[in-house]
Amino acid sequence: MWKSIVYKEWIKIRWFLVGFTILGMLGLGYVFLKVQRGFTFNGGTGFWYNILFMGMQFFGYFKYIPLLGGLIIGIAQYFPETVNKRIKLTFHLPLNENKVLLMMHIFGIVSLLASYLLLLLAFISLSSIYFPSQMIIESVISVFPWFLAGFAAYFFVALIVLEPVWMYRFFYALVAGFFVTIYIKSPVIAAYGPAIPGLSLLTILLSVALLFSAYRFRKGEM
Amino acid sequence: MEKLSRFILVIVAILVLSMTLPTLYWMAFEKPIKKPFVMYSCIDDDFFILRAGTPTTFEDKKGNKYTRDQYEQKLPMWNFQQLMVSGKMPDTIKGKAMDMHDIGRNRSFERYKPEDMNCPKSQLFPLFESQSGRASLELPNDYFRITWRMEFIDAGTNKILEEKSQLFSAALYHFGFTFPATRIEGLPTTRKSCDEGYLIVDSADKLFHVKLIKGKPFVKKVNLPEGLKFKHIICVDFKDKRYYAYLFSEKNEIFILTQDEYELIKFPVTEFKAENCELKLYGDLFNYNVTVDSEDHTDVIILDKEYKKVASYQESFPVLSERTEGKIFSYIFPAQLSMEDSNSKYIDFFWKGSGGMGWIILNLLLVALHFALLRRRKAVIKGHVIDLALVAVTGIYGFLAVNLFQNKFFK
Repeated sequence: MWKSIVYKEWIKIRWFLVGFTILGMLGLGYVFLKVQRGFTFNGGTGFWYNILFMGMQFFGYFKYIPLLGGLIIGIAQYFPETVNKRIKLTFHLPLNENKVLLMMHIFGIVSLLASYLLLLLAFISLSSIYFPSQMIIESVISVFPWFLAGFAAYFFVALIVLEPVWMYRFFYALVAGFFVTIYIKSPVIAAYGPAIPGLSLLTILLSVALLFSAYRFRKGEM
Repeated sequence: MEKLSRFILVIVAILVLSMTLPTLYWMAFEKPIKKPFVMYSCIDDDFFILRAGTPTTFEDKKGNKYTRDQYEQKLPMWNFQQLMVSGKMPDTIKGKAMDMHDIGRNRSFERYKPEDMNCPKSQLFPLFESQSGRASLELPNDYFRITWRMEFIDAGTNKILEEKSQLFSAALYHFGFTFPATRIEGLPTTRKSCDEGYLIVDSADKLFHVKLIKGKPFVKKVNLPEGLKFKHIICVDFKDKRYYAYLFSEKNEIFILTQDEYELIKFPVTEFKAENCELKLYGDLFNYNVTVDSEDHTDVIILDKEYKKVASYQESFPVLSERTEGKIFSYIFPAQLSMEDSNSKYIDFFWKGSGGMGWIILNLLLVALHFALLRRRKAVIKGHVIDLALVAVTGIYGFLAVNLFQNKFFK
C-alpha cells in the first residue's frame, strides 16, 4: 500500500521535478557563464575584487530558482488532490490519515531535497573552479536561505491548497508571503550566517503545517 | 499532530505579525530627530551648533544666534573653501599664516558606524607593492589569506603561489606570529595616496604590521600593553601621515597607532561604545573633533594636536521610547522583531522591547476579549489555555494569530 502511495506521488511530480532540476541547472549554467565572461573580460583579479570589496554577488541570478522549485513541486503534488476533492479517496484508505499525508509530504520533501542537493553540489563544484574555499563558504551561506525559502514555499503551498475555506487561504497566503521574504533579503554576502540555525529550525517545524488544513478539510470546514 | 501543526502556524503568524505591524506603525508615525551638528571654533575656542530644520539655525553654546555668514567665519577650517571664494578667509589664525596646502594637509575625516564592525569580513586581501616606483598603485594578481600559514592565491588560476606563501609565512613566523590571523585590516583599494599594507591581529591577540616592499615581506610587531585586545581597526590614509589607524579596544577605548614610531596613543574619550555609537573624527590645523553619536545624546570632545582634551560638549535628546509615538507604541506592542538592525549588516532575529510596560493593559484586555469570543462560540475553555497564555504574553500578535489559525479541536 505504501509503495503504491509513493508511486502515485512520483507520477504526479516526476516531470515537474525533472523540469525544475533542468531549469535550476540552466540557471546555474547562466550564472557561471557570466562568471566565465567576467573572468575573460576583467581578469580573475578584477572579478575577485568586485566580489570581495564591491559587494558583487555573482550568484544573484539564482535567487528565486529554489523558491520557484518549492512552489512548482507543491502545486504539482497537492493541487490535483483538491480537484473533485480526490484526496478524500486517500483518506478512505485503511491507513492512518495523518500517516498517509505525512508519507506523501515526506516523498515531496525528499524529492525536492534531492533536486536541491544536486543544484547545491553543482554550485559548489563550479565555484571551486574559479574561487578559493573562503569565497565558496561565503557564497554558500548566502544561497542556503534561498533553498530554505524553497522548502518553506513548498510547505505553505501544501497548507494553502488543502485549506477548504477561500478566506483562510487568502490569510494563509498573506502570512506565507511575508514569512518567505525573511529568507530572501538582499544583504551583503554571508550576512545570513547568524540567522541560518533559526531559519532552518523554523523551516523544519513548518514541515507539519499541512496537517492543520488537512484536518480542516477532513472535518468539512466551510 | 494537528494540534502541533496549528501551534507551529500560530508561532509563525506571531513572528510575521511582530515584524510587519511595528514596521507599518513606524512608517506611519515616526518623526525624525534632527541631531545638532557641533563644531569647535579655532577663532573663539568655543562650540558652534548648526540645527537643521525650517529655518536652519546657527548658534553658540550659550544660545546666541548667528547668521550663516557669521557662523562660517567662526569655523574657518571647516568652511575654508567657502571663505576663500567669498574673500573672507583670515590671513592668520592664532599667529599661524593660513596656507591652503597646510590646511589641506592637516584636514582629516573618518566616520564609523557600528555596522562597520558588525558585518561579515572578507578573508582574502590584495597585498599591494608599497614601493613599486610607479606613480599609482596597481592591483596585484593574487590575494592572501592567513589560516595555518599566509597563503597567496592567484586569482586567474585559483592556484596557491607556493614560493611567495612560504616567504611570507616564514617572515611572520620569524616575528612570533601565532597562526591563524583573527583580524586583518587595511585599505584594499588603489585609490589611496600610498600603500601601508595591513594591520593584522594574530591568534594570541598580538598586533603586526605587514607590507610588501620591493617583492620582500616587511613585518613589524607592535608592542601592546598587557591585556590590550582590539575589536575593530580602521586604517586611514590622511595627508598628514601622523598615524596608520584608529583602533577600538574591547573596553571601547579609542587608540591611534602613530606612523613609523608605532606608538599607541589613547584618545581621552570615555563616552564611546562601538556596538551602538557612531563616531566622527575630524582633524584640522588646530584640533581634532571627536563626535560620539548615540541614540539619546551627542558628545563632542575636542583634542589638541598632541591629542590632549581641551573642551567637551554634550547634548541629550529623548530616545524613541520617550517620545509620543514611542509611548503609544509601548501601549500597543509588547516587542518587535526585525531581521535587520541599523547597528549590524548581519541578518538575524533582532528582538527589541517596546520600552514601556503599557502593553500589559492591552494584553489583558485582549485575553478578556478572546475569552469572551470563546464563550460566545461555546468552546471548552480548558482546551484554549495555551491560546490564552499566548495572547497574554504576545498581546495583539498572539490575539490575531490564534484567531487566524483557529483552535477548533475542542469544539
